[in-house]
Amino acid sequence: MAELLYLYGVAPAGKNNEAFSDLMGIDGEHPLFTIGFEDCMAVVCRLDESDYGEEIIEKKTKELDWIQEKAFHHHETLLKLRERTNIVPMKLFTIYQSQNRLSDVVQAHREDWNELLTEIAGKEEWNLKIYCDPNRLRGNIEKNHPDVLKKREDIAGMSQGMQYLQKKKLDGWIDQVVEEEQLTFSKQMHDTWNGWADRFMEKKIWKKDVTGKTEEMSWNGAYLISSENVETFLELVTEANDRHRESGWKIEVTGPWPAYHFVTLAKSEV
Amino acid sequence: MSHREQYENKEIALIDILDTVLDKGVAIQGDIVISIAGIDLVYLDLRILVSAVETLVAEEKDPLTSKKLKEEMEALSHVTK
Repeated sequence: MAELLYLYGVAPAGKNNEAFSDLMGIDGEHPLFTIGFEDCMAVVCRLDESDYGEEIIEKKTKELDWIQEKAFHHHETLLKLRERTNIVPMKLFTIYQSQNRLSDVVQAHREDWNELLTEIAGKEEWNLKIYCDPNRLRGNIEKNHPDVLKKREDIAGMSQGMQYLQKKKLDGWIDQVVEEEQLTFSKQMHDTWNGWADRFMEKKIWKKDVTGKTEEMSWNGAYLISSENVETFLELVTEANDRHRESGWKIEVTGPWPAYHFVTLAKSEV
Repeated sequence: MSHREQYENKEIALIDILDTVLDKGVAIQGDIVISIAGIDLVYLDLRILVSAVETLVAEEKDPLTSKKLKEEMEALSHVTK
């Protein structure tokens, strides 16, 4: 039966081939092993072509629960690998027909691997998201914003018809302030955090139907941080959470992730 | 408890994992080309899957199995019908 190779990532050379054999591969049958090259090694597992051939995978990718299960495995395995070695993580489902093909690809990128591995050595990726309860934020602004209070006072002295129109206008203006406040707050938080990070990547802000949360996401970013700065970085997050919770802000941190967001290759394909 | 311990390997939402492993990481040409109809479509379909409670604890002994996912998926699609 033909065998395929599933590539998890590329790590610096120096471990024996069985170093990760306690970890089970993506099919739940074949353990992980490494293929050494001069200065790096590929972390892989075997797959039976009869179960993971192109056509079969093509069909399987229509099953969301299957994708999710595999995505979770890929993620979990790379988390474990990351604890044991510096590693450049691959995208889900990076599969080769033979060891020769894999060798060609890894060899072709030798310089890239070394550069990337040096860049991310001793660093950790942490992802941060800021969520906001817009109602609470709005409530605060309505109650405390000096311009709102002033405008409301002005309106109170107007004729009834005018009051109606101006109140509507004020509502629209408050909406705007809420939006601006979300941007300002996020920017301010990001600037503080970014001061402790080596690199940063802004991510898409997800709508509520994607996050499934009642709060609105107002910031989504990935930060690459030197291990010795992580504690300070996280302390800042905790402080910010404590200080701004009452006003409707929540900061969510996940990590350490493999450096997924910071491993772009110069040449995109072989 | 250090701040690190407080946050490390905690609750990672499925959507976060999917977004990252499908879209990030090194994309080199594998021999088997997987087309998951674009990440946006995955997001679209996820609407019936993702709920506020559906977060994974990465260190959980019993990770979300496909059976459990299937049940959740069915339950959620009922709700969204």
